Amino acid sequence: MLKDSETAVECRRESELLKRLAPQCIEDTGGLFVAVAKDDDHYVARFPGLCHRHGITCTPVDIADARHKEPCLAPDLKAVFHVPDAVVDPFRLSLDNAADAQKHGARILRNTRVTQFVSHNGTLSAARVQDTRTGKIFLIEALQYINATGAWADKVAAMAGAHIPMLYSKGSLVITQRRISSRVINRLRPASDADILVPGGTVSIIGTTSLEIKNLDDIRPTMEEVSFIIQQGSVMVPELAFTRYIRAYAGVRPLVKNGQARGRTISRNYTLRDHAAEGVKNLVTITGGKLTTYRLMAEKTVDIVAGRLKIAVPCLTAVLPLPPGKKGEWTEPGKSPRVWAAHPRPKDTLICECEMVSESMVDDIVDTLCAEGSPPTLEEVGRRSRIGKGPCQGTFCSFRLAAHLYRTGNLEGDQGVSQVKGFVNERWKGFMPLVRDRELMRLEMQEAFLCGLFNMEADR
Amino acid sequence: MAGMAASIFARNRGISTVQVGQVSEIGFSSGCLDLFSIIPGRQPAVFGNPFDGMDALVKKMPCHPYSKVTHAQIRRAFAQFTEFMGSAGIFFHGPEKDCRQAWNNQHIITPAGTLKPTCQVPAAMKAGAQAIAGNQRIGIIGIKGLKGFGALQMAKTLQSKGFQVTGNTVAFPGRETAGDLMCERLAWDLETPKVLQQFIQRVKPHVQQVDVLGLPAVLGIYRFEQLRRTMEHTLGRPVFEIPTLSPSVTGIRLKEAYLEKMTGLDLLHFPVTVSEIVQNKNAFVFSVTQGMESRKIMAKNLILATGRFMGKGLGVADEQIKEMLFDLPVVQPENRSGWLCHDFFDPAGHPVNRAGIETDDSFRPLGATGSVFHPRLYAAGSILAHQDWKREKSGAGISIVSAFKAVSHIAENTPAGPAA
Repeated sequence: MLKDSETAVECRRESELLKRLAPQCIEDTGGLFVAVAKDDDHYVARFPGLCHRHGITCTPVDIADARHKEPCLAPDLKAVFHVPDAVVDPFRLSLDNAADAQKHGARILRNTRVTQFVSHNGTLSAARVQDTRTGKIFLIEALQYINATGAWADKVAAMAGAHIPMLYSKGSLVITQRRISSRVINRLRPASDADILVPGGTVSIIGTTSLEIKNLDDIRPTMEEVSFIIQQGSVMVPELAFTRYIRAYAGVRPLVKNGQARGRTISRNYTLRDHAAEGVKNLVTITGGKLTTYRLMAEKTVDIVAGRLKIAVPCLTAVLPLPPGKKGEWTEPGKSPRVWAAHPRPKDTLICECEMVSESMVDDIVDTLCAEGSPPTLEEVGRRSRIGKGPCQGTFCSFRLAAHLYRTGNLEGDQGVSQVKGFVNERWKGFMPLVRDRELMRLEMQEAFLCGLFNMEADR
Repeated sequence: MAGMAASIFARNRGISTVQVGQVSEIGFSSGCLDLFSIIPGRQPAVFGNPFDGMDALVKKMPCHPYSKVTHAQIRRAFAQFTEFMGSAGIFFHGPEKDCRQAWNNQHIITPAGTLKPTCQVPAAMKAGAQAIAGNQRIGIIGIKGLKGFGALQMAKTLQSKGFQVTGNTVAFPGRETAGDLMCERLAWDLETPKVLQQFIQRVKPHVQQVDVLGLPAVLGIYRFEQLRRTMEHTLGRPVFEIPTLSPSVTGIRLKEAYLEKMTGLDLLHFPVTVSEIVQNKNAFVFSVTQGMESRKIMAKNLILATGRFMGKGLGVADEQIKEMLFDLPVVQPENRSGWLCHDFFDPAGHPVNRAGIETDDSFRPLGATGSVFHPRLYAAGSILAHQDWKREKSGAGISIVSAFKAVSHIAENTPAGPAA
């Protein structure tokens, strides 16, 4: 935060906008910066001044008072500051954005990968894309192309003959089974591993690591990273050492290379690049940045494209609210049990008993997915609901979901087996690094069913 | 399973026996007796004949539990086990002649629509295995509100493999609108003749174009043979059951039949957890508490059939896998990061699954020095090292044959007269 001054200011502005325009996606938690006994006094002393310089209101908090408000905090604190902070529900934010874009005429093609660009005299005339499920290849013809592919930005730009040298920094995080704190809790030290605990709905997330990687094909958290995160996190919040975790996950920060900087020292600011200078006249790349500034990034990008298309209408996303859409309805942790408890319908079979997702909720999600133009997969239904995210991690619910999708005509042939395998493996990716002791019991049960009884690994 | 088998074999040999522990994991059983089918690996080798498979397996994995038994011992162990279960009312359909070929694996339909190879199937699953082998027309009937059993899902999946299968769903009598049915509840209901008759009438419209009918395993807990025959008689088609997810009725039947038979034979069974066993000069001593009463058990020989992590035979301390009762050495991957594969379904299987107890050829655990830990302590079943029963489809087989060999060793080394 204190390193990238411009980023900090942008973040603050955008965060205020989001709180106002998309309140359904934001929980205004406030945040604490806490220093433990061994943290650097010098850094602690500089902190309020640095906040002030970036226009961030930073208030010292009495340590006893802080521990009263957040009992999870370590006993050996030596300084606590309160800062404005909020948490975003990223699923909801993404889905509400997608829904709003569709309302404005956008078409969203899920499971579609760019494989090539068709180009004439430096102008892209079509993007060749492939439906990853059906294998069908088709062309998308447009006047302007925006490359907003995150960590894949360089690979996609290269298909068009452009170039953005990038570094990939993998960050891993771990999700606890219950919410540990009300506020975001940051360790008061220079940016480092496992220095932030973020609450979100019914869970908390502790992270993150920063590990430079070369290959984008297999991004997963490792056992070593998870152990390290837990050990580091427990310095500021001791119960992290023994609380129950449900999942670990990893993402990639796309960092655009700039001189000799590496890892955390590279700017986390966004990069907006017009490729006209490289001879590709109608391609713009936007990458890097943070979720908080996503709106601003989109605005700046579209301004360039609109200029080229001679459209003079100004961007309104900083003014118009983002309406709460139906797509994101079932992603909120704790919502489906609440709905179920408020209106129990005995006929409405629960597909997922851990998170209480019923057949009618699934039908709702399936309708939305179908309206987007293609039949849903187990993974997609999982992503838009809490299915598979509870303690059984898909052992039972994946089959029930598959059975239901067959009954409603959304699955055919032997799609069920391969989709259940895909679903289970997606959950496994986040569970495997957490396997320490009691988790072996669950693995044994899950394998006894999926392999011992169902023979899924060997059935052809 | 290993504990049950050991008690049966010990009783057959006239050894005074006490069984201690929860029979909880049997609730997960498909009811089938797996012997051997697959050598896991980058290229898994699938064997139609379990003995052919075992010969190849032992060459590849010389420490596998099957390396410690002969084919003849395996056949005898299975014969004794199935004979006992038959006397308890659970009949198995297995090899009809005692030749190698007759032992070829059968295939049962699973709720995923996949096929699972197994050695012997309960009588209730026989028609299904035969229908698969003979590519007959199979009609699968699901029950509305019974989760995890999608008749259409199974039918479509099997159709894509070329089988002639249809899937239909009927409402269960008296529970037409329920959204959350459990197999065990339905099995109890069907023990009532009126409910059974109503159920049969609902299935009837779906028998026209099929040779055999498959149902979820819900046809009774106790009178299952009779219920199935009534159904077959009324519908004029063979009926078979398909094992379900836990708690499975097939497992409950095994447990109930076994316990009832054993109680009749005066085998003492204490469904309690033992956490401490003392070894004195001549015996293993521990106490079991039932209600207000506490009893001290002194056993000359002890067979450890405590299972793996679910059964709590194995546990973890400081990232090392431990045996929980005697702290026996456990064969295991070098460290925690070697336990698991990135792919849940990796054809080679997770290395942690082959962790377990190393034994001598009589299934006596080895101590830290590599020699036998105690001359009269044995281990049987899934706690044994070097096997991956879930991938090999060898769970019941390993349990039965290791129990058989351990009990044989006890019998051979025990002078006649009251002992154990």
